[in-house]
Amino acid sequence: MHPVNPATSCALRPLSDLTPPSLERTWLTAPHPRLPIVATCGSDKTVRVYSLTNFQLLSTISGGHKRSVRTAAWKPHIQGESVLATGSFDATAGIWRRWDSYGRAGGEQDGWGSRTGSGLQYDHDHDESNKTDILRQQDVGAEDDDDEEWRFAVLLDGHDSEVKSVSWSASGLLLATCSRDKSIWIWEDLDDGDNNFETVAVMQEHEGDVKCVAWHPAEECLASASYDDTIRIWREDLDDWGQVACMRGHTGTVWFVDWESAENAPACSPNVTGQEKEGRLSQWRETGQRALSGPRLVSCSDDRTVRIWRRHPKEQSDGRFGGTGLPSIIRPTGMDETWEEEAILPTIHDLAIYAVAWSKRTGLIASVGADGRIVLYEERFLVGLESDSSQPMETDPPLRTAEGAATSQSPRTEWVIATVLTGAHGIYEINHVAWAKRADRGRDESKEEEVLVTTADDGSVKVWTVER
Amino acid sequence: MDSAMQNSNPTILNAADLPTRLRPASSRKSGTCKGVIFAFTNYSVADPSEFAIGPYASDESDDDNLIEEPIDEQEIYDLISTISDPEHPISLGALAVVSLPDIKITPTLHDVPGSLVRTATVLITPTITHCSLATVIGLGVRVRLEQSLPPRFRVDVRIKEGTHSTAEEVNKQLADKERVAAALENGTLMGVIAKMLETCQ
Repeated sequence: MHPVNPATSCALRPLSDLTPPSLERTWLTAPHPRLPIVATCGSDKTVRVYSLTNFQLLSTISGGHKRSVRTAAWKPHIQGESVLATGSFDATAGIWRRWDSYGRAGGEQDGWGSRTGSGLQYDHDHDESNKTDILRQQDVGAEDDDDEEWRFAVLLDGHDSEVKSVSWSASGLLLATCSRDKSIWIWEDLDDGDNNFETVAVMQEHEGDVKCVAWHPAEECLASASYDDTIRIWREDLDDWGQVACMRGHTGTVWFVDWESAENAPACSPNVTGQEKEGRLSQWRETGQRALSGPRLVSCSDDRTVRIWRRHPKEQSDGRFGGTGLPSIIRPTGMDETWEEEAILPTIHDLAIYAVAWSKRTGLIASVGADGRIVLYEERFLVGLESDSSQPMETDPPLRTAEGAATSQSPRTEWVIATVLTGAHGIYEINHVAWAKRADRGRDESKEEEVLVTTADDGSVKVWTVER
Repeated sequence: MDSAMQNSNPTILNAADLPTRLRPASSRKSGTCKGVIFAFTNYSVADPSEFAIGPYASDESDDDNLIEEPIDEQEIYDLISTISDPEHPISLGALAVVSLPDIKITPTLHDVPGSLVRTATVLITPTITHCSLATVIGLGVRVRLEQSLPPRFRVDVRIKEGTHSTAEEVNKQLADKERVAAALENGTLMGVIAKMLETCQ
């Protein structure tokens, strides 16, 4: 019934469960950008921090939120300290901090970042905030050194209803939050030692709950997904944040969006090797739409599809190629961007797809959802450019030719199913999927291996290896 | 309250005409209407081979699960027909808001023959086409089933086609897992739902 390719190129192998699990629904697991730890958000109003080295619970952050913790994100680009943003059904976002020296005192040399010079400079702030931190948890590591504790730093108050997603910009300066109140808030972390955040913008163009926000991997550009079935792109123009694109295509709630890495490239089929492979890859990187469009977006929806979106290169949408077919005189001005649906990935899921994750290392896309499946997708160069004509270029619909000259210079790609795993968490729905760097003893240290982390309704979080 | 009523004179079916099944008392599902929301007990899978990594380990409740009786449409009807209408002290069954022919149990995964996951679809017929309480009734039905059915069931509660002016909007809300989960943490709303479920056995 489903076009599942039997010749799948990957296999998912269970590596470990994170233990002990939550006994209630868990919504999302956020891998730390630097350390081998993850944060799992749950309906029990807590965030559990687990080790990816031994898969054990390290600490439980509780007491900050009055309702389910729905989402969490680690602030990137800070050394010596970890900063976690959380979003809850209680309509607030929380900021939590902890010194990275945690765990070292207990003899657990499991890859926690060593305390660097930049970490020491926080010591003064650290002492001060401890004095004023009235919400500090008494039960979490109370007998340990103060450094061992998660410090509740600040509560970001502003949304009218449940916060659904939080995301830090690539620089770590900006935090985006979104809510059922249909708004997106952008906060600036003033990093002044007093945990002050300033509201930079409130965007209210969405016509339904905003389910997910995700920052561009390099630029200050935000993508959002909504109950109104659209995906929108937001940028700052002369101090004003505004919508620069609205993508329609999904026919149901868009649950999640994720960006491609800035350096991603498709896989080559096994018969393409050596110089030809290099040529194909450099062609991909340096010519055509890839170089001009920037990273693409992947989205997933209640409509059971996963879609890839690509920005029209500015040079074209402003000029004679006019991808939308609109005469330039009535095209909106200034910052506006044209994004188009590049592909619908092979349809496997039977129910709503709740999350997608685009690997920044391998370019593989993973999707999970209410049907309990994990699906991996791989992008490959089409063999149409080779002498082999069994897969002619005409497989693409003719309308693709309207994209302009740049496209024809780029190698064509197709998305194939890399593997499908049914019942990955038994009978339970899977709410989230994320890629993380492998850190357990079984890893091959000569390679940068990746693991997949899936989070389910029964509170279980599973870690998988991908064999290619 | 009377002045706010949207349908002050609904059609009521005779209780003797409602579909039912006499069953030994021991087979009753747990009648807990209030209390733990989303009681996600570990649930064992009978056939591990259908899942790549086997069943989710269940420590203490294996025995209970293994003797679970087959659940059919009548059982689902029995679970929800006794829910009270939020406006009237009358059951959804007597008001024909829920009816046996509008309940279906189907396999959820079409291409996995051994899968135990089932979708329970319940179509709701609001008493009047513009009833703004349709969402609350639908939520009550969904909460009742999520509390009572084993977790292998996916609950799909929708307004029956052609019986409500804003059916699409209501259906989208009822199908949204995140919204339903958040609603369950809303004290005011849960007060209303708890009252509706008070009359369940």
